[in-house]
Amino acid sequence: MEMFSYLLATGISTGALYALVALGIVVIYKATEVVNFAHGEMFMLGGFLAYTFHVMLGWPYVLSLILAVLAAFGLGILVDRIAFRPLMQRQSLVSVLLAMVGLSFVLKGVARHLWGGKGDYIPFPPLVSPEPIMFGGIMVMSQQLVVLGAAAVVMIVFALFFKLTRAGRFMQATADNPKAAKLVGLRIDRVYMYTFGVGSAVAAAAAVLMAPLTLLYPDIGFMLFIKGFAAAVLGGLTSIVGAVVGGFLIGIIEQLSAGYIHTSMQEVAAFIVIMVVMVLIPTGLFGRRGMRRV
Amino acid sequence: MRALLGKKAFLVLLFGTLLLLPFGANKYYVFAANLVMLYIILALGLNLLIGFAGQLAFANAAMYGIGAYGTGLLMKHFALPYWLSAPAGVVIAMAAGTLLALPALRLSGIYLALTTLAFAQFTFWVMTHWTSVTFGAGGFVPPPIDFAPLPINQEQGIYYLSWVAALLLYIVAKNAMESPIGRAFVAIRDRDVAAQSLGVDLFRYKALAFAMSGFYAGVAGALYCGMLGFVGPESFDLLQMVMHKGAVVLGGMGSVLGAVIGGTLLTVILELVKEFKFSIEIAFGGLLMLFVLFQPTGLVVFVKRWLPGWEERLHHAEDDGAERAPVAADGESRPQTQAGD
Repeated sequence: MEMFSYLLATGISTGALYALVALGIVVIYKATEVVNFAHGEMFMLGGFLAYTFHVMLGWPYVLSLILAVLAAFGLGILVDRIAFRPLMQRQSLVSVLLAMVGLSFVLKGVARHLWGGKGDYIPFPPLVSPEPIMFGGIMVMSQQLVVLGAAAVVMIVFALFFKLTRAGRFMQATADNPKAAKLVGLRIDRVYMYTFGVGSAVAAAAAVLMAPLTLLYPDIGFMLFIKGFAAAVLGGLTSIVGAVVGGFLIGIIEQLSAGYIHTSMQEVAAFIVIMVVMVLIPTGLFGRRGMRRV
Repeated sequence: MRALLGKKAFLVLLFGTLLLLPFGANKYYVFAANLVMLYIILALGLNLLIGFAGQLAFANAAMYGIGAYGTGLLMKHFALPYWLSAPAGVVIAMAAGTLLALPALRLSGIYLALTTLAFAQFTFWVMTHWTSVTFGAGGFVPPPIDFAPLPINQEQGIYYLSWVAALLLYIVAKNAMESPIGRAFVAIRDRDVAAQSLGVDLFRYKALAFAMSGFYAGVAGALYCGMLGFVGPESFDLLQMVMHKGAVVLGGMGSVLGAVIGGTLLTVILELVKEFKFSIEIAFGGLLMLFVLFQPTGLVVFVKRWLPGWEERLHHAEDDGAERAPVAADGESRPQTQAGD
């Protein structure tokens, strides 16, 4: 039982991270019907930028976090301008995806060039003392609690952004019905652009939060992208709530399968979830059953 | 003149050079030439799936790996001779490819891309972690291959085997794509629901496209195992997948000749990048991105424009989206493309 509760606690805190990655994927997918293949690279670069500001330049933590998030917003816009906008006019999904894959490898190569090669793992100083604390009989890393709390804050800010701000409502309107949004005068190209920016900014925030727990390396982006995608798919790919629930579920599934089956299951659980969900319930837990357009 | 510049002349020149190369060139060039043939096979197979049938799958490197692992492990664990283990490896890769057609029947676009990506990562994980069978991340050395009673060593044997395979598989791809199979693939690519209503059996042709690309990748894998004399998981990672995609896009999506050009150029670029210690990720990611953006029909279009006798029946030769009808960005009205020029 002690092992179970320990695994559950770890699962929930990594799950919060996956939920944040999934959130970015879902926001972009809802608006554009494209999964941003470079989403993991946004995460990775956000983490490395924060590392550069905070550790290499010695700037304060909060300032580094804000700068990294802003930079990731810009990178998201870059993805839109390079790989999405010019190719959507050509109406070819295959082209969009291939361009994004290409871009993600370029970004990964650049990161490897700047911050280290295949075997380099860069530590990020924790925000709080690394001492574990006892929490009702369960040992929890204090950084995990920070991640969980901060993830909750990001999610709430995000929900409020959609409910209360003009930009958030524009994004929702475009996601619900791009044609109608265009008809009432929204510049949907611009909405798509900001959507990519916002999605990437969330990824960078997640990266800064979790960097102290997992270290930073150029390949981390893809690994988290696939896990975030697993979470998004489990939640239905079109549902924000689904992304959050899916994220926690993936985190827990991963930890439990690692604890009770084999440690290496942790790496592979997400792939299996994707394949099983896709084949058995492609609309996920919270997804809307879409009409097929001919 | 026309005959000298046509595609037949090009192919005769390419395969003729490859045939005679081992008699004059040093070991490095022979190895590179062998790699050229493997990448031609891989690009041909992937182009059938992506360029013709329009199924964006990310598992080609995994199929390649399954072919290589299947061949090598059968030799290592069961001491099977190469002439038995190689076909077995190819069959295993083809079976895995066909298995992927199952999700492809229900999923398309992004869903299919990511499901196959998950499959590829799963395969990679099995190669690295199932140590008792696959020897783990360090890879393994399969036993040497004996070509007796032929008077050739392993290197020469694999080289000529690759030559025969590349030539045969080119001919198979070309003929298949000019037959009703190719037209069915293109119909599925351009509008699958319309294709179905015209009587194209989606199940059959999607499964066929996946099986064929699995077969091609499996053949390349079996040859790779013999060529390198070593099999390890890092040869079949995501970067490899991006390189295959790069070869297809570079040469020309939906063009059999494009795959030959792309596979050849891929090897040349790869060796140049290694020579100058440039990042392979940036080189191939960048090429993939730039070609998709600025030259989506590949290099083969240039050749077609300037040289006579390079026409292919099912390949569109418009050079960019500008010639197509302008479309609203709402995703409902895709431009109608005609099958066949």
